[in-house]
Amino acid sequence: MRSLFSRNETLVALIIVAFCVVTAIVEPRFLTITTITDLLRNGIVIGIFAIAAMLVLVSGGIDVSFTAIAAFSMYSATKLMIALGVGDQIIVAFLVAAAIGLTLGLINAVFIGTLKLPTLIVTLGTLTAFRGFLLTFVGSQLITNVPPGMRDFARSMIFRGETPGGSFVAVPTATLFLVGAVVLTWFILNRTVLGRSIVAMGGSRESAARVGINVTAMQYFVYGYVGVLSGLAGIVHASLARVANPFDLVGLELQVIAAVVLGGARLTGGHGTITGTLLGVTLIVLINNSLIMLGIPSTWQNVVIGFLILLGTGMPAWQARRRAAASA
Amino acid sequence: MKKIVGISSLAVAVAFGAATLAGVAVAQEKLDIPTVVKISGIQWFNRMEEGVKKYAAESGHNAFQVGPAKADAQLQVQILEDMIAQKVDAITVVPFSPEALEPVLQKARDQGIKVVAHEASSIQNVDYDIEAFKNEDFGAQLMDRLAACMGEEGEYAVFVGSLTSKTHNQWVDGAIARQKEAYPKMTLVGSKNETYDDQQQAYAKAQEVMRAFPNVKGFQGSASTDVAGIGLAIEERGLEAQTCVAGTSLPSIAGQYLETDAVDAIGFWDPADAAIVMNKVAATLIEGGKIEDGANLGVPGYEAIKLDGKVIYGEAYKLVDKTNMKDFPF
Repeated sequence: MRSLFSRNETLVALIIVAFCVVTAIVEPRFLTITTITDLLRNGIVIGIFAIAAMLVLVSGGIDVSFTAIAAFSMYSATKLMIALGVGDQIIVAFLVAAAIGLTLGLINAVFIGTLKLPTLIVTLGTLTAFRGFLLTFVGSQLITNVPPGMRDFARSMIFRGETPGGSFVAVPTATLFLVGAVVLTWFILNRTVLGRSIVAMGGSRESAARVGINVTAMQYFVYGYVGVLSGLAGIVHASLARVANPFDLVGLELQVIAAVVLGGARLTGGHGTITGTLLGVTLIVLINNSLIMLGIPSTWQNVVIGFLILLGTGMPAWQARRRAAASA
Repeated sequence: MKKIVGISSLAVAVAFGAATLAGVAVAQEKLDIPTVVKISGIQWFNRMEEGVKKYAAESGHNAFQVGPAKADAQLQVQILEDMIAQKVDAITVVPFSPEALEPVLQKARDQGIKVVAHEASSIQNVDYDIEAFKNEDFGAQLMDRLAACMGEEGEYAVFVGSLTSKTHNQWVDGAIARQKEAYPKMTLVGSKNETYDDQQQAYAKAQEVMRAFPNVKGFQGSASTDVAGIGLAIEERGLEAQTCVAGTSLPSIAGQYLETDAVDAIGFWDPADAAIVMNKVAATLIEGGKIEDGANLGVPGYEAIKLDGKVIYGEAYKLVDKTNMKDFPF
């Protein structure tokens, strides 16, 4: 029981519930189906990113370049799709974006795994480099006329309904990508030797190497996997937004990492769960999409978000220290 | 021209007293007038280049457009240095950062080059700055469109890129002032919503505004991506017919939403016209002419300009809906 309460997941879940209760009291209209579908829709891309970022944190690194990878893959794939005249084949967009994402992820891996450079420095560098290359050599114009395949994908729904007020509510098919990323990553982390090796490497790189784990290979896998997920997330984003904007996505990375850390993943590596990450994402998306309802003016919204992140990450850290002091 | 004048004066020196020759050479001379833009290759400045080319064809002067490959004040300074070295007759410029260009523009003016800027009403080292319109008036025009669509009643919300974007806030303040004065049955709901010039933010905020204020009927956007984000949210809700959206944007960005009525009117100014005006003002100054309040510059929207210090204001709003969006392919 005690361990349940001292866990990050529980804390974040409690904050989420408290936040919902307060919002519902202030604005009863919060409790509608539309709120749920809106939040889900806005959580897809940030959710996929968070799963990827969580895996890197677990492996003992940190990646801030995934948004640039996503923008690069998304924009290049969309452009290629139009150039090849295969605009109605959404599968092409996903395959190309995944391949580009993989390539860029492996570029990170070369610096991190082979040249053994610090992950934050490498990915800060590649964040800027990938983005610069994209804007200089691939293009800097918005593609507002996205290929029909992407438009159809955005319009396909798992569930569609109508509210009493006469407006539509829907859950887009794109949600399945988040579900897929969650299931696959959970399986890898918890049911494969590969996943357990990644956790071990994150806990202690030295010990992991001594028990015979090929640390370099693990890093290639982690950054390649993150690249693929980012590429796919990019296409999902562009499809849902119905615009391929090369300036998009970059800037989201800190919010994503905040969500992951809120969910209990440690910047020092070796710790992080899917449940925690999803709770962290839920909290961030919930806050981002409820402050108008709470009547909080625009200027204060960032202050509130910052404070909640401090609360969410500070409480567990403080508890952990108290526990350590008690056991000493 | 200076080079030619130099050669001509040499000729004068050689030919003793052939002063009229130099005079004839100047009168027939083509003026070199570059238009230095923030960035090359984007639709906005491609459209501006059309204006520059049109002016060059009509006037016979050597007017041309140059700009850096990416929006960077330092690169723009380098291009301006190049132009000064080439001894052009005038420079027209759309500054990326007005403050960063002050020293190089001062250098140009010290060498007798006329300087005309656009979209930089605070800039000092220019002869004139051209503004397509007064921002408050433009905001009021958008409000008129929004009000007409809403039947002059109901709740509306306003969006800005950020509370620190000066022009966005002037547009929205102008719109709100217009609503208070002319449309008493309309009410503003919520505060100014910030979108950080990000379509996804505009989309999410529009969704939330619709949840928080279910009766909201109108939306006014400011960043060019605002109305696209709002339009997407409205389309997904299936509320195209019940809601009205007006804002600053371009047909290339908002076109697909204008077609479905998710967005009802967009406003902007035509960069091609602004380029022609900049060039005309520059040529007038070189030829020793003056720009006066109320003057007609011979370009639509600039027929009766207002002069405020160094700033020339036109009334060059373009308000576009789905019936005439095809006239503005940018």
